[in-house]
Amino acid sequence: MGKIRAFTMPKWGIEMTEGTIAEWMFGEGDSFTRGDLICLIETDKITNEVEAEYDATIRRILVAGGGEPEPVGALLAVFDDGSASDAEIDDFIAAFKPAEGGVAEGRQKKKEGKPKEAGIEGEEDKPRAITIETNRPISPEALKLAQAEGIDIADIHGSGRGGRITFQDVQQAMRGPSTRSPKGTAVLPDETSVFASPLARRLAAIHGIELSGVTGTGARGRISKKDVLAKVPEPVASSGATPAFGAPFEAVENEPKVIPFDKIRKIVARRLTQAKQTIPHFYLRVGVKADALLELRKTANLVLGVKASVNDYIVMAAAKALAQHPDVNVQLHGEEIHSFPHADVAVAVASPKGLVTPIVRQANRMRIDQIASRTKELIGKAKDGKLGFEEMDGGTFTVSNLGMFGIENFDAIINPPQGAILAVGSAERRAVETDGGDIAFATVISMTLSVDHRAIDGAAGAQFLATLKSLLEEPETLFA
Amino acid sequence: MAKMMYRDAVRNTIFQEMKRDDSVVVLGEDVVGGMGTPGGPEAIGGIWSTSTGLFGEFGADRVIDTPISESAIVGAAGGLALSGKRPIAELMFADFIGVSLDQIWNQIAKFRYMFGGKTKCPAIIRCIYGAGYNAAAQHSQSPHAILTGMPGLKVVMPSTPADVAGLLRQAIRDDDPVIFMEHKALYGVQGEVPDDPDFCIPFGHARLTRAGQDVTILATGMMVGMAESAADTLAENGIGCDVIDLRTTSPLDEEAILDSVEVTGRLVIVDEAPPRCSLATDLSALVAQKAFASLRAPIEMVTAPHTPIPFARELESAYLPNPDKIEAAVRKALAYN
Repeated sequence: MGKIRAFTMPKWGIEMTEGTIAEWMFGEGDSFTRGDLICLIETDKITNEVEAEYDATIRRILVAGGGEPEPVGALLAVFDDGSASDAEIDDFIAAFKPAEGGVAEGRQKKKEGKPKEAGIEGEEDKPRAITIETNRPISPEALKLAQAEGIDIADIHGSGRGGRITFQDVQQAMRGPSTRSPKGTAVLPDETSVFASPLARRLAAIHGIELSGVTGTGARGRISKKDVLAKVPEPVASSGATPAFGAPFEAVENEPKVIPFDKIRKIVARRLTQAKQTIPHFYLRVGVKADALLELRKTANLVLGVKASVNDYIVMAAAKALAQHPDVNVQLHGEEIHSFPHADVAVAVASPKGLVTPIVRQANRMRIDQIASRTKELIGKAKDGKLGFEEMDGGTFTVSNLGMFGIENFDAIINPPQGAILAVGSAERRAVETDGGDIAFATVISMTLSVDHRAIDGAAGAQFLATLKSLLEEPETLFA
Repeated sequence: MAKMMYRDAVRNTIFQEMKRDDSVVVLGEDVVGGMGTPGGPEAIGGIWSTSTGLFGEFGADRVIDTPISESAIVGAAGGLALSGKRPIAELMFADFIGVSLDQIWNQIAKFRYMFGGKTKCPAIIRCIYGAGYNAAAQHSQSPHAILTGMPGLKVVMPSTPADVAGLLRQAIRDDDPVIFMEHKALYGVQGEVPDDPDFCIPFGHARLTRAGQDVTILATGMMVGMAESAADTLAENGIGCDVIDLRTTSPLDEEAILDSVEVTGRLVIVDEAPPRCSLATDLSALVAQKAFASLRAPIEMVTAPHTPIPFARELESAYLPNPDKIEAAVRKALAYN
């Protein structure tokens, strides 16, 4: 009889108490091999792919996909090598006692170090096993390995004291010599032959422009920022074929391309529907004068040598304002409000797989350059689909910015369990009244705060927005 | 077997060996204890009480009070050893080994090698070392790493009264120079010591004091007891630790270390000295090189921080490794995957 194994609800992170099987990739009776995607498990934070840790056959699925949440350790399915009888499977299920931690592990989750027990079950017998009789010095583990794998130790050169053979020596002998060919030397870029400003060098590196091909227009032929920017190719819109003038209009086929929801979109759709339907949203709107911020950003970026975006500054200001208003820096868990001293600010990112919200942790304690590099890293990972669970888990607030698309303002849906989300619109030139009563133009960014009224009252949200506005309008206070 | 303290095991072994062999002599600061005071010799006893009664039995020719000069003590020991004696020199505080470093490093450690093996230098330098006595930065240090790094010396760090007896007798009978490091905080520790007057423990044989299959813990001197205490706590939680008392850092029992790591795959090294260029980093390098294939987690080190030893009692206890820190390191090693 083959070994029957339980597949239970895994535990990802301390806070996880239950999870839901979103979808099974295999049905009962199907076999999978190690590394196959077995199923998707959804928690209140994230959906994880569960990979097989060994080859097996699915004998019984006890919890179907898309059902109710199951507690951690609950029996989800039973696997074996396909040889056990149905009665044996039934007995196994009847005798199963839930324990914490699953058998299969998610991508983000690593195995717990478990103390070894005598006689590990399920280990296969190696037919190649031999008995080695030798008077050469060899460590007990090395001898055990050599015997189990049938390695002739006569050819092994021992690296231990007095030529004693270690476990590592036997393992090396099993692997054979490396076949990787050396990569050779590298050529360092010649910094001296090209006369260019540091900013121009950085821009050239960002846009992949060869500086030797750029003509410098600065003093004594020095390559400056604008010389490099002139070389940056403008994206050209492709012009479709225009029908000849005077020809009559002809309708063409307009069949829809059907795109079924993928897993991510299913979850995004479900969670947003749930959030919009169950959370009593209310909205607070404010216009923030951004001229001082835009001016300061230019100087600060040059001085600090970073490329911090306006959004990075908004994240920083929001984080600092949240730290001053812990009654807005909250998560809502059932009938409890969890108010945090530090602001873990999630940033909404459009990734190829859909909307993701990676988190800049303790953004209120970061300098602007740290925020800029962190958001850059997270956005990069989001675009590559490489965000880890811990990079999206939790968060106390979200900033969603569509200003770069020219959106004036919009209302965002709260990302539970957070209590609020800030929707940032574009910076627009608007006529405003000056202190002296004249009319002048100012750059104004519209912001809308969506608030969960169960956790945060209107006055608290308004006070938070007032702090945020004053931080952004007097941006030097961000560096105080 | 007789129950006795660590300090008595030092004294008794020296006493027995002086009885057995006339060439064994003792020298150091105030080893007579009270010489020149109104009460006369032995009226007070040396500050560590590790030579009490020797003067009365063997006299001023074999129990020699010296000036307060480590270079003189070690230099004299080297000369005595070259001329056929078996001197046991005592450095009251190992911290002051610096002023006798030429005598140890360039002379005693090198004689046999530089004379092509035609001479030998069976000198013992007893170094009283270690923290835990609120004795501040100049009287609490553990300089075993620099001494272990000197070829030509054997370095012994006993952790129990029995090991003191077996290793000190081996050191006295050994024909090479031996640095015998006694931890001052262990002097009052009691333990069973074999009665056999020829009880010797050969150098380079580590002692496995606790056996487990999950993590290997390496320790010496006072750190052994702390490692054992951490291992006992962990054992109650089902985590098994191999605790290895190295006993001698030179020669080193490489096999004991590698064999254990090949089973456990996880290593915690406990060292009382600061972490840079230390015994802990040396052992870590050994395992990283020769048992890389067996390691399943980064090697953890529990050491003092890279600072002088603080005087304040609270700071000193925060400075030193302790069972809680060792337990945390073991759990960290186990948590890695």
